[in-house]
Parts: sequence; structure tokens; C-alpha cells
Amino acid sequence: MSQRARILVAIVMLVALLGAVLGIEALRRLMNPASPSGDVTLSPGDSPIYLDEQLVAGFGPADLDQLETVSFVDAEKGKLQQGWLLYDVLLLHMEADVLMPEWSIVVSSSTEGTSAQLTWAEVKNEANMVMLTLTNRGTLKLVSLLEVMDTRDEWVVDADKIEIFSP
Amino acid sequence: MKERYFSTFQLILLALLAALIVVAKIALRLPLRIPGHSGVFWMGIIIVAAGLVPKPGATSVVGLTSGMIAAFLGMGNLGAINTLLSYTMVGVGADLALLLLRNPENLVVAALAGTFGHMSKFLVKWALGVLLGAPVGLVALGLAWTLVGYIIFGALGGLLGGLTLAALRRAGFFAYLAEKR
Repeated sequence: MSQRARILVAIVMLVALLGAVLGIEALRRLMNPASPSGDVTLSPGDSPIYLDEQLVAGFGPADLDQLETVSFVDAEKGKLQQGWLLYDVLLLHMEADVLMPEWSIVVSSSTEGTSAQLTWAEVKNEANMVMLTLTNRGTLKLVSLLEVMDTRDEWVVDADKIEIFSP
Repeated sequence: MKERYFSTFQLILLALLAALIVVAKIALRLPLRIPGHSGVFWMGIIIVAAGLVPKPGATSVVGLTSGMIAAFLGMGNLGAINTLLSYTMVGVGADLALLLLRNPENLVVAALAGTFGHMSKFLVKWALGVLLGAPVGLVALGLAWTLVGYIIFGALGGLLGGLTLAALRRAGFFAYLAEKR
């Protein structure tokens, strides 16, 4: 077999591999049963949002495309943090007047085992810059200008769950 | 006496390149928020390994060794098994591609081998996510975009490795290696 033929075979194999991954993933999305709570359906890649332990919504990459990005320079290393306000993310899926200022918002990471608990008032205050940004791996992390979250060890890296608790 | 598949010199060379992969992963950070961008560094090193030790299995040895080092250092956020498997599969994937494509000094071959190696890493993460429910789905940019990132940066890394091999050949490094063998 000539070198050109081997390269062509490799390209065909690569395309087949890509097709297989995307096909299986599409199949998973089709076969993924709706979540038990009402008509909320979580697709692979979605992060769930719970209200008092009831699944109320899930947000995914397409949701982030709809939102405006904001940014700030973090005090610890002086790096630009750019992302989407958690407030905006939540308002994509629920009405603002449903949430009361004293309600707790817990953002957690199942891989890191970390979480941050904030109040809705803190999340709502744009000056606090409570936002989700992308990590270098393309996962989400929760960062903020709030004193309780102003260093890297206080950030929630690989954030994949949002819970809202009423008092 | 039966000749060993890899000479001691070759094994030392492969181990050094494996260590270089881990060091590159720790020290060389690009400010890109694109999944798979670190492939530029480690696929380059993998292709260089394939050129310096042109035997099937060479890049698998580099992958396995770098995976063991990385797992012992606690690298990766999805556990040691994931780290070991994904690093190893980078080498195995490149090895399999080079079994078909052969000469890693050909830039197209180097780019394709880099792509296959890097895709193998993605496949490990994705398969573990599908089989075990590991949270690969938290990749915020979506699977297709992540795949594209892995392919592009794998190919770029492979290309970089191919160019490095060409530079090493021009510098006479292969003649030096031939003496050492």
C-alpha cells in the first residue's frame, strides 16, 4: 500500500471514529429518559438546577451562548476572569420574583467535592460578580469578587450542580 | 544471548520523554480556554519519541510511563485510573496510527498520528463518562467542540513533533543515536 493510500485509510478511520462518537452521543441524548421531575429533561452535558431538592431545570452550552459575558480581574493573580453571571444563568430558567434575597444558592462540583454557599442577594448584586467562567479544560468554575470567594482555593472548579434552598 | 526489544539507552530516552510530558503538562500552560489545548505539547513529544525510537510500542512505553508518573503526582481531576488510562492511550493511539502510517518524519503522518493519539485520550475520558457516569458531560463547550479541540491540537502537536524530528535530523542527532545503539 502506498503512503498516500495509508494516509487516506487513516483519515477515513478518523472520520469513522468521529462519526461513531457523535452518533453514540446523539443516541444517548435520544434515549436519555426525562428526569423524574415534571417535564425537565437533562441531556448529557447539562448541569442540573434544583429548587428545594426538586429538579427544576438544567443548563447546557446552548444556554451560555444566549448570555452576555462579563469580566473582572482577580485580586489574587491579577488575571482576567471572563464568564457569565450566575444570576443570568438562573434567570434563564426561573422568574426573578420566585427567589427571595435570603434564599441560599449552593454551587458544587461532584469531581472536586467542593461547594460554595451564597445568598440570592449576593448572587443578584452585580458588583459581587458571582459568575461561571471556563477553566482551561473547558469546564465551568464559580468565581466571585466576594470576600468568601476571592482566592482560588475558594472557587468551585468543575462546577456541575446548582441548588437553591428556601429557608 | 537474546537481544532485548528496547536497549537500555532507548528505554532511558523514552523515560526522559515521558517525564518531559508530565513536566510540560505542569509547567507549560497556554491561556486558552479550549479543551485539549495541552495536546500541542505532549503530542509533539510523543511524535519525537516515535522518531527517536522507531519501534512499535515506543510511544506506548512513553504513554504508560508518563501516566504512572502523573498518577503518582495526583494529576488529573478524575482520579488516578483515569489519568493512567488517558496518558497511556495517548501513546497507544499514536502507536497504532504509526503501525499504519509508518514514518513520523512525514509531516502529514506526524499530524495524523498526533490526532489519533490525542483522540485516544479523549475517547478514554468520554468512554469512562459513558460507562461509569464520570462527569465528562460537564464540559461546558459541548462534545463536538471539545472533539474539534482535541483533533486540532493533536494535529498541531504532531506537526510540531514532525518538525522537531526534521530539525534533529538536520542537526545530526540521528547519526549520534545510531552510534549509541
